[in-house]
Amino acid sequence: MSLAILDGGAFYHHEAIHGARYRDLFDRSIYMPELTPEHLEGVRLLIVPDRINPDLLRARRQILIDFAENGGTLVVLGENQAETWLPGVNWTSRPTNFWWWLEKDARPQQRLVSPDHEFFQAVPFADTIWHFHGVLRPPAHSQTLIDVPPDPEGRDAGGALLYDDRVTTAGRLIVSTLDPFYHHGSNFMPATTKFLDGFLPWARRLARA
Amino acid sequence: MKPALALSYGFPDGAMANLTSHPDAVGRITTRDLYGLQALDLNKFGALLVSMHVDQRFLASRAGQIAGFLQDGGTVIANGHLAYPFLPGMKGVHALQNYGLKDLAVRRLTDHAIWAGVSENDLTFRRGVAGFYGRAWHEPPEGATVIHALGTPDRPLDFIYRVGRGRVLFHGGNDLWQYGGSDSAGRIVPQLLHWMFSGESAA
Repeated sequence: MSLAILDGGAFYHHEAIHGARYRDLFDRSIYMPELTPEHLEGVRLLIVPDRINPDLLRARRQILIDFAENGGTLVVLGENQAETWLPGVNWTSRPTNFWWWLEKDARPQQRLVSPDHEFFQAVPFADTIWHFHGVLRPPAHSQTLIDVPPDPEGRDAGGALLYDDRVTTAGRLIVSTLDPFYHHGSNFMPATTKFLDGFLPWARRLARA
Repeated sequence: MKPALALSYGFPDGAMANLTSHPDAVGRITTRDLYGLQALDLNKFGALLVSMHVDQRFLASRAGQIAGFLQDGGTVIANGHLAYPFLPGMKGVHALQNYGLKDLAVRRLTDHAIWAGVSENDLTFRRGVAGFYGRAWHEPPEGATVIHALGTPDRPLDFIYRVGRGRVLFHGGNDLWQYGGSDSAGRIVPQLLHWMFSGESAA
């Protein structure tokens, strides 16, 4: 059983997927415009990196849903408009504060909800903290890993940035608002590289367990 | 002057929306989906706008169409790091490794109308943070005019080169149209529009 990843063809996808740092971790990369069910034969875990063209995801949503319904684990990262194509996803946009860490006595809003989840054995909570683009309302009986409190300006009621859903499909949906591929692949934010340093080897272990 | 063509990529793009709604651009920039490029007659357009977010692997499959557009006098404005060969003469990216503040300083090597009145400092820093404008460099094709370099003069960041009767403006960082702020970098968008619509005579 293997680990596969969708490749959106943007330069940051190319760097993160085909660059020297991580390329040996993937058993298969699948160019998004060419995705067919045959590509997912033998795949146990499929990563949908952040910023895959949402028109293409919607057009091929049934392939991805069938993969999860057949017992696969689908990891869907941020900025993919997952609420428009993936069952159970409910997302609210929150205006992004890229500058929170410049504010006096800056403290991140993120809260570690499930410290015992296996994800955090691979990825330290500190490596999940950077700006975020919205919040998720997880389906009932799914497990929230990281959340944030309600928006201080009242625009949303707070919600999850990462959750693990073993309920909605016969497989597993791990859904996040975070966007590490874009920021790592464009050589910008070190926290996102640390995130992938932990997350991708964990994903590989899950795929091969 | 022919309209410009902006390639969309499935996401709402606020910076591109600000560019197309600028008073100097209204009605002059047509937006079409990237994957419909093959069906478009590029001769109807004067310039092609390529965001850092587009699927470059697809664009590379249309490299012949893009080269033909340039040969015939078109302008291409491309942003981001080059991952796939969609532009004539371009080589791959060199991302800065273990960079510090001095490596991220934007240095002007040649004055150019697009950046007239824009300070190097306002390109280097946003809210005191360096790195938004560029974190990588490219080897420009022979004969290119290098406008800005990153850290040292041998790391080109912005450059312009001729292809046939056309021209390429390559910016190896975040989309140029993101710079709409109130500091001097806010001059880029109107000056870019003026250059873009000024035709093939201006280098």
